[in-house]
Amino acid sequence: MVKGLLDWLDERIKIRDLWNDFADRPIPGGSSWFYVLGASLLFIFSLQMITGILLAMYYAPTPDHAYASVKFIEEVAPFGSFVRGMHHWGASFMMVLVGLHMIRVFVFGSYKKPREIIWVLGIGLIAIVGGFAFTGYLLPWDQKAYWATVVGTNVAGTVPVVGGVLLRIVRGGTELGAFSLSRFFAIHTYILPWSLALLAGLHVFLLERAGAGGIWNAADRVPYKAEPLFPNQIFKDTIFIAMVFIALAGLAVLFPAPLEPQADPTDSTYNPRPEWYFYFVFQMLKIFEGKLELLGTVILPNLGVAVLLLVPFIDRSPERDPAKRKLMMTAGALFVATVIGLTIAGARAPIVNVPAVTSPSVLAGREIYARNGCSACHSIHGKGGKIGPDLTHVASRRPDADWHLKHFRDPRAVVPGSIMPKVDLSDRELRELTDYMLSLR
Amino acid sequence: MSEQDVTRRNFMIRTIIGIGAFIGVAISVPLAGFGILPVLRKRDAGWSDAGTAADLLTDEPQERRFFQMVKSGWQEERMERTVWLVRKADGSVTAFSPNCPHLGCGYRWFSQDKQFKCPCHASFFDIDGKVIAGPAPRALDTLPAKIESGKVLVKFEIFQVGTAKKTAA
Repeated sequence: MVKGLLDWLDERIKIRDLWNDFADRPIPGGSSWFYVLGASLLFIFSLQMITGILLAMYYAPTPDHAYASVKFIEEVAPFGSFVRGMHHWGASFMMVLVGLHMIRVFVFGSYKKPREIIWVLGIGLIAIVGGFAFTGYLLPWDQKAYWATVVGTNVAGTVPVVGGVLLRIVRGGTELGAFSLSRFFAIHTYILPWSLALLAGLHVFLLERAGAGGIWNAADRVPYKAEPLFPNQIFKDTIFIAMVFIALAGLAVLFPAPLEPQADPTDSTYNPRPEWYFYFVFQMLKIFEGKLELLGTVILPNLGVAVLLLVPFIDRSPERDPAKRKLMMTAGALFVATVIGLTIAGARAPIVNVPAVTSPSVLAGREIYARNGCSACHSIHGKGGKIGPDLTHVASRRPDADWHLKHFRDPRAVVPGSIMPKVDLSDRELRELTDYMLSLR
Repeated sequence: MSEQDVTRRNFMIRTIIGIGAFIGVAISVPLAGFGILPVLRKRDAGWSDAGTAADLLTDEPQERRFFQMVKSGWQEERMERTVWLVRKADGSVTAFSPNCPHLGCGYRWFSQDKQFKCPCHASFFDIDGKVIAGPAPRALDTLPAKIESGKVLVKFEIFQVGTAKKTAA
């Protein structure tokens, strides 16, 4: 049956030749665990496509419904949390593997003639993966999504002369809203997947034309050894892909993708943080201030990309042995160390906005709250006793200052049957305590 | 190739196929479930207010429009609905789904003929919904209805059409 079909196809489109061309492609120096990264990226990309298409079946790219639809996926739809978890962790995996893949190619000197174009396409692919990550995490329309995108798009606004226009084009208006969400969705689900598929296809196809680089000293090895792509390399690829898949599925089950409270453009107490893979950009934005800001937002990132693009044209010697390319290895190591260093610094950056403490009277009220042992009975943000009501959002329930003052002086007068003791403090102190209560929204 | 090479080659090919099958199954079960299960859920219809009961004339069907809150997934929508209400001599009210059970067209009441008539394929029904003529496979679909403090309350549902048996869609 299968053989009959293959014969039929073979007679017409020489399908066996096609397969043999692919399968028997020799890898100089033999297959290697170092070469599994590219295949694993293809695998994750396919997975992202499939999980992404399914997520799009329930997702609504409008500010009115985006959050509710993601909440529905996460909490109600069967397997929803798993599918979203796979997509979320898939993005992180893609970032890590794409970085490792580039480092591997760099160290092996595989970007050299005749594979320069493939390297350039690879840099383009990294940019697309970054674009995916950036446009993807606005979509849930939660606090993180909203604020990280406010900051991220503002970077575009710092470009000299055209910044303002650029910002409006990226955001679909002067502020984040319906147009931002729909255009981010369009970019994330139409433009980038097609670009990535085309570019990745070209990347693989041209590698096929130019021939795999293999190990640098393959030609000098005696006896000369080359293994076919299939099954030797594909076997290693598959084992690694299986490990990636198990890790990904495990993370999706054990650590579901987070969903913060719905985006609130009026909330000034939130501490915006990007996803970890953008920490290095985040940190760079903090280092350069004032007139130097442009250096961090525009000049250095573009310079970085330009340098990466030019690597195969700057380093044109045919030498591929990393031990004999000390200068390039050092430069590469410095580049990687800088990115890792910035990432770590970004991750450890202190939270600037201590929640909801702004005015001195609120600060004083917080002092009074702590000093008088209020937390023996009440909790705020999960800290304190359970005898009295939770005060984390007390101002949403009781926004009236007079109510609080009256209540402190004589709880039973306002809440009949209350077991809370009268608060014996001066008027001024009661007012400060009230201000603190009103800050807890 | 030596015999050992052949065995090794076969082992690798089998492992590749095995892992491929494992990943395929492991990912397609949750994906299929996620893609299909949420849409198979039955909606739980509540009572909707279909207007006052006092305006209804005995044995003179009346069409009523009202709004029903419908939850689809995460979204609650206000859907405009219509039903045919028939008040009987004993004061009880029957509510008919507005769609012809043949292929779902909207039918109308013709008072001079005392018949419900469907304009699409000419199915005719009497005031109790029974088929008099035409291709309709079953009587008009009744909806749960009751009168509470002067208002007609209806539990609006949608039914599969074209079948002899009335089943919720």
